[in-house]
Amino acid sequence: MKARKLKTQTADLFPASAPAPASAPAPRLSTLSGGLPPAPQAAPAPRSTQLWYAAVFPQQPIPVLHRLSLHAQQFTSLVSIEPPNALLLEIKGSLKLFGSLERLHALIDARWQALALQVSSAVAPSTLAALWCARSGKPLALEETATLAGRLAELPIACTAWDADRLQTLHSMGITRLGELLRLPRAGLARRLGPNAVLDLDIALARQPGPRRAFVARQRFRERCEFETEIDNVAYLGKALEPLIGRCAQFLRERQAGVQTLELKLRHRAGPATRVRLGLASVTSERRRLADVLDQQLSRLELSAPVRALELVSGALQPLSGVSLDAFSRFGNAGGPDTAAQLVERLRARLGENAVYGVSAIPEHRPEAAWRRIHELPLAAALMIGAAMPLDAMPRPVWLLDEPLLLSRQEALHRDAWILEQGPERIESGWWDGKGVARDYYSARCARGAKLWIFQERHTKCWYLHGVFA
Amino acid sequence: MCFGAVKMWMPHECGGRKPKPTPTPTPEGAPEGREPRMGERQPSSLADLLADARVWKLKDASASQRLSPSRPVWSTGRSALDARLPGGGWPTASLVEVLIDATGLGEMQLFLPAFVECQRRADGDVPWLAWIAPPHEPYAPALAQQGIELDRLLVIRPATAMEALWAAEQALSSGVCAAVLLWLKGTDDRWLRRLKLAAEAGGALGVLFRPERHRFESSPASLRLLMTRGEPEPRLELLKVQGGRPGLVDLSVP
Repeated sequence: MKARKLKTQTADLFPASAPAPASAPAPRLSTLSGGLPPAPQAAPAPRSTQLWYAAVFPQQPIPVLHRLSLHAQQFTSLVSIEPPNALLLEIKGSLKLFGSLERLHALIDARWQALALQVSSAVAPSTLAALWCARSGKPLALEETATLAGRLAELPIACTAWDADRLQTLHSMGITRLGELLRLPRAGLARRLGPNAVLDLDIALARQPGPRRAFVARQRFRERCEFETEIDNVAYLGKALEPLIGRCAQFLRERQAGVQTLELKLRHRAGPATRVRLGLASVTSERRRLADVLDQQLSRLELSAPVRALELVSGALQPLSGVSLDAFSRFGNAGGPDTAAQLVERLRARLGENAVYGVSAIPEHRPEAAWRRIHELPLAAALMIGAAMPLDAMPRPVWLLDEPLLLSRQEALHRDAWILEQGPERIESGWWDGKGVARDYYSARCARGAKLWIFQERHTKCWYLHGVFA
Repeated sequence: MCFGAVKMWMPHECGGRKPKPTPTPTPEGAPEGREPRMGERQPSSLADLLADARVWKLKDASASQRLSPSRPVWSTGRSALDARLPGGGWPTASLVEVLIDATGLGEMQLFLPAFVECQRRADGDVPWLAWIAPPHEPYAPALAQQGIELDRLLVIRPATAMEALWAAEQALSSGVCAAVLLWLKGTDDRWLRRLKLAAEAGGALGVLFRPERHRFESSPASLRLLMTRGEPEPRLELLKVQGGRPGLVDLSVP
């Protein structure tokens, strides 16, 4: 209902200088079920809130545009790829940083020239205006929306890159320039060319917002390196890996991100690829750390078959916090450039994940349950349980045996082999989870002079060795 | 000087060159080409001489004077032992070797008070301790009881002795750890030298526990201790003390 009403209402011309504020949220065409967007109301808005830079790269495929977008992201956070061969940059927010529009425009253009790219660029307050100007090869740097329609009027209609049918229709109507098109009545234009054409014109004149999808950089690093000859030496493999690590580190730096896992795939002529998984103790983007861990892993590796290609795949990217940068490490003046996290990950890379751990105390009466290993970093996650532990009257031994060791009957009978020095301390606990204990603990000195922690099971009267004071 | 004299006389004996007119070689009579301006090279003062790193100094161990602040010492918590160690405590940035056959003689009690003190004194970050290949599980409640900061303790369990040595070298030279404890059955001299260098580079105290049978092997450690059973206190003997005198230590004195 609403759409039909709107359609009857709009039969006026495109006014040459009556832009609506671009930020006004206008209903999108799709929500109006194919109807015509409302004719924008005239409102005093001399300056646009957006400023778009468009660059058209003739004959550049999309993957190249992706890489160019990365370059463009140093000028603005909003970069959008316009298929088939153009980039759009929102630069209003960057003007202050770079000084002026002229300066910024020149800087971006210089960037493309440094890459030896053929490019035509334009700046306009709306996406399509900038894009059309760039396509037509007309250098334009316009900040005002007021004169936009006048500047667009000279452009040939081919620069709109509409489909061939529509352009043919316009040709047959005798229209070759945008100015002639803008003079036509809206309703008639919508009927002949479809509502999308009218919307395009509105967007170009900055009367309708033209939201763009921002380019988001790839979230994983994945690069492959093929060898000309098969490699069966791990040392050569390390050399071949170096440039990949360098590129991976740069990839991460560009995104202000780091990784905590990496995977190296070694492809063979036959059989499945060898996968080497690397875990880092903390999120990092540093080349040295990545190389360090990869080196350690490679030194342990035994190749089952010669390698034809290798592929380095990063784990999910994670934001990098400033403190993880080496230069600001608080350990910096402690004598070495390493941090504890680096040390742990280097040790783990060679010795295995479970070979390096921390311990924490748990308030619990059963001795074997009063501690646990901690594998996740930071080990500071060991909580402050240790401090809250009740200080028992009897000291605990520094070493605890994995399992209580049953002392043989003979040893137990010759009680004089043991000199009980302290005790007993009765520990009776854990009846609720089926691992109940009922023990009398003593500290004893054995014939060899060692001070031990032994207990007598209260039910069986058997003696066990449980710890060593050292 | 004796060497120089022999060299000087050799050409004369061979008849190759005419000897210098001074037939009796004395320090003053050394040829100018070999020792130019001997007088200027002489240290101007005792302080210069002592500052020379090549001069080996025997410190008075009883006067518990501290070494330079770059290499502090940690008190062992036992005055009898402190008095026998140069500087009055465990040296940092060096390797200490403890020869012990049975665990449980109180060998950890020699070091734990020093670690607690070191962790407590640290301004800013608490330094780490690394225990490599310990004989049993370090029992967290006991360590907490004694005052060790558990969140700064790293336990490393390598599969082989070679990996243990490698891990020790990494931990010592990283500059992260204040002390690295390593339990080993046996090793070669070359690796011990590497550990010593790593300890000096990282400024850490390396403590190596080995069985007593290695007693008569040479070791680059700056301190070597032998611990055996005794009544009532274990018997501790200093086998080698760089900058001090070896001998028995009476541990019964608190």
